[in-house]
Amino acid sequence: MDWKDEVRTAFGPRAVDDDVVEELAQHASLACQRAMADAADPREAERHVRLQIAQWAADPAFVGRRRPRGSPLPPLPESSSHLAGLFQEFRHACRLLWRQPGYSAIAVLTIALGIGATTALFSLAYGVLFKPLPWPHADRIARLYETRQGATNRFGAIMTSAPYVAWRDRPSTIEGLAAWSPDRVMLDAGGDPSRIRIAAATSSLFPLLGVAPVLGTPFTENDESLEDQPPVVLSYGLWQERFGGSRDVIGRSVRLDRKPYRIAAVMPRAFAFPDDDTQAWVPLRVQFIKGGLSIFSAIARLKPGVTPVQAASEGTARARSGPDPGVVVMAVFGSRASAQITAVPFLEAQTAGVRPAILVFLVAVGLLLVTAVANVASIQLARGTARRREMAIRAAIGAGGWRLVRQSLVENAVVGLAGGVGGLFLAFLLHRAMPSFLPPTFPRLNDVGIDLLVAAFALAISLVASLACGALPALQARRVKVVESLAEDGLAPTGVGSRLRSSRARALIITAQLAIACVLLVGASLLTRSFFSMLTADRGYDPTNVLTATLSLPERPFTGAQFGDLVTALLERVKAVPGFTHVALTSALPLTPGESLASFPVRSWQTGATVQAQAASRVVSPDYFAAVGVRLAQGRPFGADDTRTSKPVVIVNRAFARKYLGARPVGVKLWDDTPERQGPEVIGVIEDVRHRSVTDAPAPEIYRTFAQWQGTAVPLTLAVRTLGNPSSYAQTLRALVRQHDASISVDAITPMETLLRSSLSQPRLYSVLAGTLATLALVIAAVGLFGVLGYAVGQRTREIGVRTALGARPGDIAALVLWQGLAMAGGGLVLGLLLSFAAAKSLSTFLYGVTVYDPVSYIVVPLVLLAAAAVACAVPARRAARVDPLRALRG
Amino acid sequence: MSPHGVVTELKRGSTELLILALLEEQPRHGYEIARLIDERSDGEITFHVASLYPTLYRLEDKGLLDGRWVERAGQRRRRYYRITAQGRKALASQRNAWDSFFLALNRVARVRPT
Repeated sequence: MDWKDEVRTAFGPRAVDDDVVEELAQHASLACQRAMADAADPREAERHVRLQIAQWAADPAFVGRRRPRGSPLPPLPESSSHLAGLFQEFRHACRLLWRQPGYSAIAVLTIALGIGATTALFSLAYGVLFKPLPWPHADRIARLYETRQGATNRFGAIMTSAPYVAWRDRPSTIEGLAAWSPDRVMLDAGGDPSRIRIAAATSSLFPLLGVAPVLGTPFTENDESLEDQPPVVLSYGLWQERFGGSRDVIGRSVRLDRKPYRIAAVMPRAFAFPDDDTQAWVPLRVQFIKGGLSIFSAIARLKPGVTPVQAASEGTARARSGPDPGVVVMAVFGSRASAQITAVPFLEAQTAGVRPAILVFLVAVGLLLVTAVANVASIQLARGTARRREMAIRAAIGAGGWRLVRQSLVENAVVGLAGGVGGLFLAFLLHRAMPSFLPPTFPRLNDVGIDLLVAAFALAISLVASLACGALPALQARRVKVVESLAEDGLAPTGVGSRLRSSRARALIITAQLAIACVLLVGASLLTRSFFSMLTADRGYDPTNVLTATLSLPERPFTGAQFGDLVTALLERVKAVPGFTHVALTSALPLTPGESLASFPVRSWQTGATVQAQAASRVVSPDYFAAVGVRLAQGRPFGADDTRTSKPVVIVNRAFARKYLGARPVGVKLWDDTPERQGPEVIGVIEDVRHRSVTDAPAPEIYRTFAQWQGTAVPLTLAVRTLGNPSSYAQTLRALVRQHDASISVDAITPMETLLRSSLSQPRLYSVLAGTLATLALVIAAVGLFGVLGYAVGQRTREIGVRTALGARPGDIAALVLWQGLAMAGGGLVLGLLLSFAAAKSLSTFLYGVTVYDPVSYIVVPLVLLAAAAVACAVPARRAARVDPLRALRG
Repeated sequence: MSPHGVVTELKRGSTELLILALLEEQPRHGYEIARLIDERSDGEITFHVASLYPTLYRLEDKGLLDGRWVERAGQRRRRYYRITAQGRKALASQRNAWDSFFLALNRVARVRPT
């Protein structure tokens, strides 16, 4: 419509300045567009504008007016107050969100979910992996490991006394060494005794860490050899909990495992070494003993500028030039090769076990965030298409491309920031829940928190999410074509103008979301199958209906005979309880600490020569194997005939027999009789038992019976197989032991299945976390698919009407929509499977019993994805099938 | 006078004030001025286009406004009006007059502008 002609016609032959005509024509055009935008009938809008023109024509003020012909001004600057414009748009965006609660809730919640999960995991990653340790120059503290070539590495990260003493006495690259050894003791400080975790530590520990106590003085080197009332240093938490934070606690006496100690100092609140659970420190003396050695953990403070590799070289050199501890080394390492010292930065060593998992899950939540942002971007694209008329009007009345882009970005920033606030709150809730689902052995849990850095991270990703959500709609707004947008009637079939670009973009977004969901689902499936493999793996024992109890013996010296008698009497007492089918005592139960290593000469079955064997050594009562369900492969178990005076006997496991005894181990004497001692005879071979992790390779083991034990008292654990639920017998067992001998205390009574579940807490956590992320990603993608298809059905209403009018059945229409949805799902699935193949190797270290290309996972995941997609498509398909062709065609 | 009559009188006298006030913020073209008056007054004040442009021309003739064509890249040229220094003085004077008017109204008939 040429409004200039209309204006001139209205004024007729009267002279009207060209500028006036142009100005009035522009006004008429804008007024007409506005009227049509308000859904007025186009003819009615034009009629209204013509009336206005007629009124102008009737006003003499326009006729004959000559406008001053000033030169055109340069383009006006943008709004004289950018801030005012920005504030206006912010207010407009808030009003818009308020008026559309459904869309706002979905968008903000989706973003909040992605940001909350990402922020929570970032806080975990930062607190555990990156936050500096709270000691001065903590980057110079290195954890030390000793090993030897061919070592069996049964004790993990340890150092022994010989190289430690040699290095301590002649340090060059280090400022000092410190050692510690964890333990659990019964604390008696008046009131109820309780079991606490302590560390026996050298006096160099606190100065090396650079931490001073808040009260008292920590122990000195002289205290390391003090026998009478040695000092104990308390943690801040223990001081508050058991001593009420009283400042006169220094010098007070307490008992640890019935031995008296004197409280010497209290450490600061933030101090935790080697972990958050350690509540007290007692002196540890490390000295070289010929023919013997002690095992502990060790750290060193490197001199400035020294690298861990340089320090390790010096440590190795000192160890090799120091005194030789002798054959006892075989018991610890299974090898007599030269010592090798390794130094690793303390933070890296402390977090090595969880670092790979945290990094993998950071990537996984990042993918979840991308899915969430993509969903909101897709919704924004659809809204942008629906609001193109509004954008066109704004463009028509003078809003430049940049103003439209800015409006879109501000709207998305409001959604993003609102989602960020919600996400930070969600992260706070997740952080509160962390201690309940993270394994208790997870390092540095107390360093994980929602602080300023984490809040800044949440803000940053909110802004990035806002930009990401708003980028496509902003581009869409910038490209708005005024005439085309205002002329479209909204019912044209898809494929017209900007709707086609928007639809394609949304389809691509959905495909990417489904691909991400597929990758996360494959990961979750692999981890879950791995967890169940671990749970059901044959460990060589049966934990079902087995109740365990760790015992603390009275603090007095036992001879071997006295110890044997104590064990026998206790067993007889406990066996009498109805409901106990098998009762046994052992020095080390599977899944509990207490394993000791022995080294002794054995005649090799292969060469006939005498070799030094290393084996884990356990002392058990006769019914032990039946009580814990260990299978006997050859020979017989210990019996009543195996007494102190009968020939010494041992039972070995398959790994021992394979390595040292050959195919017929029963009847073999481990070593020839000497005047000092008889060589024990092997009477049985048991199947290999995996005492700690199911992923450990079985190691040689040797079992002795308490009746023939001649050593000192060893830690005792009771194992009772029960009829029915073992927990129901806990109180009975505790009372029975107390009645039998009040000096024996029962520390912990736990069903063996509970111990097993606790040992699997880490793989279970990974499985649950991966499953949760995958489910969320799938739900978000399915919701997105539902939205895209629902929108597409709305856009194709007229087309559907035409098809129906031409004979298509409801089933055909539904199939059309389903096919569109499943095509997107199929694309996402193919892409997701390819990405999964490529990325699966990163999970290989976490898996047990399944490969990274586990066929079950790669079959089940596509089925689950397609099923979810089909459910998401169902409602839009039904809606399309029910479109009334008459109404659709009428528009 | 009926309430409708009072309102009509008030609106007529406020036309120049409204236009000058909107142009005090930034230069605008005629359609934008009409739309803003409609929006910001929540629809209470609606200009008939027939009166808007004559008022603009009158203010331009008095030297209170300066109207010029402005071309922007990718757009048709539009006629923008901006307030002159003389216009700002007139605006301030009209504001004072309205303030005094409402004060008087309030003293007599307890009518307050919000």
